[in-house]
Amino acid sequence: MTPTGCLAVVPALTHNTLVVAAGVAAVGCAAGVVGSLSLLRKRPLIGDAAAHSTLVGVATAFVLTGRRDLPTLLTGALVAAVAGLATLVLVRRFTRTRDDAATAIVIGVGFGLGIALLSGITARGLPGSAGLEQFLLGHTAALTARDAVVLGIVSVATVTVVLLGLKEATLVAFDADFAAATGWPVGLIDQALVTLVAVRVVVGLPAAGAVRVTALVVSPPVAARQWTDRVPTLLVLGGVFGLVAAVAGVAVSAVVPRMPTGPLVVLSAAAICIVSLVIAPRRGWLARRRQRIAFEPPRS
Amino acid sequence: MPTPTRQSRLPGRLPQEADVADAGSSAPPVVEFHDVTVAYGGRPVLWNVDLTIAEPCLFGIIGPNGAGKSTLLKSALGLVPLVHGTARFWGRPLAEVRGRVGYVPQRETVDWDFPVSVTDVVLMGTYGRLGWFRRPGSRERSLARECLDRVGLIDVADRQIGRLSGGQQQRVFLARALAQEADVYFLDEPMAGVDARSQEQIFGVLAGLRSEGRLVVVVHHDLRTAAAWFDRVALIDMRLVATGPTAEVLTPDNLRRTYAGQVDLLQEIGQAVAARGRTP
Repeated sequence: MTPTGCLAVVPALTHNTLVVAAGVAAVGCAAGVVGSLSLLRKRPLIGDAAAHSTLVGVATAFVLTGRRDLPTLLTGALVAAVAGLATLVLVRRFTRTRDDAATAIVIGVGFGLGIALLSGITARGLPGSAGLEQFLLGHTAALTARDAVVLGIVSVATVTVVLLGLKEATLVAFDADFAAATGWPVGLIDQALVTLVAVRVVVGLPAAGAVRVTALVVSPPVAARQWTDRVPTLLVLGGVFGLVAAVAGVAVSAVVPRMPTGPLVVLSAAAICIVSLVIAPRRGWLARRRQRIAFEPPRS
Repeated sequence: MPTPTRQSRLPGRLPQEADVADAGSSAPPVVEFHDVTVAYGGRPVLWNVDLTIAEPCLFGIIGPNGAGKSTLLKSALGLVPLVHGTARFWGRPLAEVRGRVGYVPQRETVDWDFPVSVTDVVLMGTYGRLGWFRRPGSRERSLARECLDRVGLIDVADRQIGRLSGGQQQRVFLARALAQEADVYFLDEPMAGVDARSQEQIFGVLAGLRSEGRLVVVVHHDLRTAAAWFDRVALIDMRLVATGPTAEVLTPDNLRRTYAGQVDLLQEIGQAVAARGRTP
């Protein structure tokens, strides 16, 4: 954010806004870092599959326990996300379905089942069921200070895991065959990555909702790739872009009355992505256009 | 073209090699495929292959497209499940000797737009020895530079791998395998889509490895160069057709049997043309 942008926000900085900003910033930053890895592994949509499966988990957790506190529902969401991704792996392995088709199946089934359960629950007016539907679209502005602390801790933990296993993850993402030939357990490393993505998605749920949380896992890394040719820089930029998008979204919604925070965060991420795709040096649309005009088409 | 440097990183190797020569056939062969059968999705691509490579040399695996040449390499490296059979190194299973087996996959199997530098890729060759969570240090970095020098890429060490020619990319893969410091090297079509200069350079490095007493196994498709480059070859067409010293194996008869499908096709075309020539 520019200094002038910060100044404009200052009058609107209530305690609540700060809490929301901190929580969403943590989510955005960690999502950008983990998302960069799944982009490198050419599986950006596993986050989408996980996210759409979470609704089933939220609904089931509520029905089974009758409670609607965040830890209970998020535990259900995590179980469902992992189950969804396991289904994805099974469909891929035991049927001759392509990767993208298998992902689409999991997204569709998870989302359909989740919506059916959630609307069934709220339509019957089960006690305490009001507000469950906010997991669909997220309810960023309602984050409490405790939520923000939880989000912060989980975010720091996931980023630490990523930094620890970066060498292994990069090797598998670049050349899985070579990794396997040199004795690395490629399946295990992939599973660790998928679990990280599932955790990220679940943690992002309350803030961004099942439909939009994917945007946080995909847009910042895609934007970051435009600016760098190195994995470590990609992760840092992915995290920074995620964080900036989060803070910018919160800031705009604090300044402009009646603007929902979650969608603004996602739109900010999209804006960063679009700007990067256009103006980034060398990889950006403008730079490549200039190249085409200046030189012969590059030989492959 | 820089001549391959012959620093011996393994001082203990040469006497060992002499032992093997003295001991004759009693020492376990470097690589031994026994009755290897591989199938993809129920369709067999390799049938009962028995192939023994007793001593270090430059070994070519030759055959038509779809003959299962790459699959044979992958079966040795544990990358494809064997329906039947075993592949052993020095009489031992791969898991016990993985650190001594180097691999150069086909160039198209990776995304060259990946955000890593030439040096980053070469360092990946040292990861197997480093193990979990340990990062490459100064020893690994100087080894990587040495390997890059050997393949003539020291000038582009910091470049992103997408901004290299096909031949340079292939040499990056070769340098990564050199960084594995292996005793057996498997290369999958290292000359495919590579300019003549790079081909010569790659061949020079491979010949250097052989003279250091290492086994180099190369999947190759070009029959003309095969005769000049390899000490021994195996002709493969889903089954092992023939194996032995290159001059003895690359006979018209063996080649006809290996490339049967293609030869038949050529004959058909030839006959059709001849028939048309006669009619008017």
